[in-house]
Amino acid sequence: MRRARVLGGLAALALGVAVIVLSRRLPYDSDYGPGPGFLPTWIGWVLSACAAVVTVQELRAPAAGELLAPRTALAVKVLVAIALTLLLVPALGFAAAFGLFSAVTMRITGRHAWVACACAAAAVTVGLHYVFGRWLSVPLPTGLLGW
Amino acid sequence: MDLVHNVHDGFATALTLRNVLYCGFGVLFGQVIGVLPGIGAPTAIALLLPLTFGVDPTSAIIMFAGIYYGVAYGGTITSVLVNVPGESSTVMTCLDGYQLARQGRAGAALSIAAIASWLAGTASIVLLMAFAPALARLAVHFGPAEFFALTMMAFGLLTVFGSENPLKVVISTMIGLLLTTVGIDVVSGMPRFTFGVPILLGGFDFVVLVCGMFGIAEVFNAIEQTEGGAGVAGRLRPRDLFLTWPDWVASRWAILRGGVIGFLVGLIPAGGITTASLVAYLSERRCSRTPERFGRGAIEGVAAPEAANNAASISGFAPLLALGIPGSATTAVMLAGFMMWGIRPGPLLFTQHANLVWGLIVSMFIGNLLLLLMNVFLIPVFTAMMRVPYSIMMGGIVVFAAVGAFSVNNNLVDVWVMLGFAVLAYVMLKLGYPVVPLVLALVLGKLSENSLRQALIISGGSLSIFVERPISAALLAVAALAYLSPLLRWALARRRRAAAAA
Repeated sequence: MRRARVLGGLAALALGVAVIVLSRRLPYDSDYGPGPGFLPTWIGWVLSACAAVVTVQELRAPAAGELLAPRTALAVKVLVAIALTLLLVPALGFAAAFGLFSAVTMRITGRHAWVACACAAAAVTVGLHYVFGRWLSVPLPTGLLGW
Repeated sequence: MDLVHNVHDGFATALTLRNVLYCGFGVLFGQVIGVLPGIGAPTAIALLLPLTFGVDPTSAIIMFAGIYYGVAYGGTITSVLVNVPGESSTVMTCLDGYQLARQGRAGAALSIAAIASWLAGTASIVLLMAFAPALARLAVHFGPAEFFALTMMAFGLLTVFGSENPLKVVISTMIGLLLTTVGIDVVSGMPRFTFGVPILLGGFDFVVLVCGMFGIAEVFNAIEQTEGGAGVAGRLRPRDLFLTWPDWVASRWAILRGGVIGFLVGLIPAGGITTASLVAYLSERRCSRTPERFGRGAIEGVAAPEAANNAASISGFAPLLALGIPGSATTAVMLAGFMMWGIRPGPLLFTQHANLVWGLIVSMFIGNLLLLLMNVFLIPVFTAMMRVPYSIMMGGIVVFAAVGAFSVNNNLVDVWVMLGFAVLAYVMLKLGYPVVPLVLALVLGKLSENSLRQALIISGGSLSIFVERPISAALLAVAALAYLSPLLRWALARRRRAAAAA
C-alpha cells in the first residue's frame, strides 16, 4: 500500500511539473492583465509543491493496509465489462450492448441464474430502446440490427 | 411585505400540479436512493441531470432539492436497521439508532429521526426565507475581487472540514482547477491543453465527469466493500413507531440544538450535512448529563444528528442561491444544472428568477411534509427495498450513467471520457485523495479564474485590490486561516504532547 501511495504522490508531482512546462507555452501576461498561462502556472507550482511533500510523507509513513481488497478483481472485471460493452455498441447498438452488460455483471457479481440474467438483459434492452430511444428521444446509437 | 408577497408567489408556483408531482417524485426518489447503499445524492442528481434538458428549470430544481433532502431521510433507515449508513450524513445515526434497534426500539428510532428531520427542516426553511434574500442583497455589492475571495474561502474550508490529509485536499482541488483550464480561454481565445484534439476545445463537460466520478466510481467502490452489518428488526408494526413521553422529553432540546447547529454549518461553503450531523452529535453528548448513554441507545443521539443533517441540507441552499457558491458535492451538481438551463445563481437570481427561487423554497415545506408522511406510513416498503441485491442495482447505475454521459452531446466518446474519469476517481479514493474538492473546483474553477483576471484588470495588475476591499479582505483572511489550520492543529497537538511528556 505504501508503494502505491508513494507512486500516487510521484504521479501528482509529475503532473504538476508537466503543467508548469506546458504552461510556459502560454502567455503569462497580456495587455489587460494576467494571460491564459497565469492560472495554469500557479496550479502547476502548487500541485508540484504539495505532491512533493505528500510523497515524502508517504515514504515516512508506516506500511499499513493493502491496496487490493479481496473483491478488487471483481471491480476490475466490471470495468473491463463496461469497456467491452462500449466496444460492442457499434455492432449491437447501445440498448442491446448494455442489456448484455447487465446480464454479464449480474452473473459475475451476484451469481444469479442464467434465466434471471437473460430476463434482465431483455428488460434493459427493451427499456433503453423505448424509454430513452423513443419516449425521451435520445438518439442512442443503433447496431447492425437497426436497434 | 416583500417577504409575504414572495412567499405567496412561491406557494402559487410550488402548488401547481406539475411542481407538486416533481417534488413528490424527488423526495420519493431521494428516500429510495438513501435506502439503497452504493449510490448517493450527487450521483442520483448527476444521472438525472441530462434527462432534464427539456424540463422547466423550476420543476427540475424542485425535484433535485427533493432528492437532496429526501436522501438524508432515507439513509437513516439503513443506519438504524442494519448499522450501514445509506449516506455519509447518517453515519452518526448508526451509533445510537442501531443500538435502539437491537433493544427492540427500531420504530422509535425511525420515528424520532423523521420527526426531528421534519421539525428542524421546516424551521430551517423559515430561516432560509429570511436569510437568503439578505445574503443576496449583501452579495449585490460583490465585485470580481469578492467572488475570487469567496471561491478561495470555499476551497480553503475544504481542508478544514475534510477528514483527509489537507495536502491531498489541495492536490485534488488543483486537479479540478486544472481540468477547468482545458479548452478555449474565454478572455484571450487561445486553446489551452488541447494537444490538437478538437474534442478538447470545448473543455470537459461537468455532467460527463460527475457521472463517472460519482456514478461509476461509486459502483467500483461498492463492489469492493464486503457486506457488513447484521440486520435486525425484520418487520416493523405501526405501533412500534409510537414514541413514549420520556422519548419526547429527552429529544426536545436535542432537536432544537441539532437544528440550530445544522442550519449554521450548512451556511458555510464546504460545511456539508455530514459535518453538521457530526458536530450536532458531539455537542449533544457534551451537553448531556449522562454522556455514557451515548453509543448505547440514547434517543437524543438519533434526534440531534438527524435534525442537523436535514437543517443543513436546507440552509446549504443559501450560499448556492444567493452567492452561486455550492457548499457540497450535491449542490455543486445542482449548480451545474442551473448553468445547463442558462441560469446563473447569485445575487441577481432573487430578482431575475424570483418565481424559481421562491417556488423552490416553498416546495421544501411540501417535500418535508411528504417525507414525514412517507416515513410514518411507508417504512415497511423501504425496509423491504433494502433486500435488493447490489449486483442487480449496479447494472442500472452503470446504464443510467452511460445514457446520461452520452445524451450530453449525443457522442459515445463522452462515455469513454466518463469511464476514464471513473477510473481516476477510483484510484484517487484508493490512495486517500478525496474526490469532492476536485468536483467543487470543477464547478467553481471558471468563476474563480475569471474573477481573478477581471479583478487584476480593474486594478491594473495590483494585488492590493483583494485587501483594500473589506469583504474581500475578510473572506481571504478566512481562507488563509483555513489553509493554515492544519499547521495550527499540528502545532497545538505537538505542544500538548510535549506538555504531557514533561
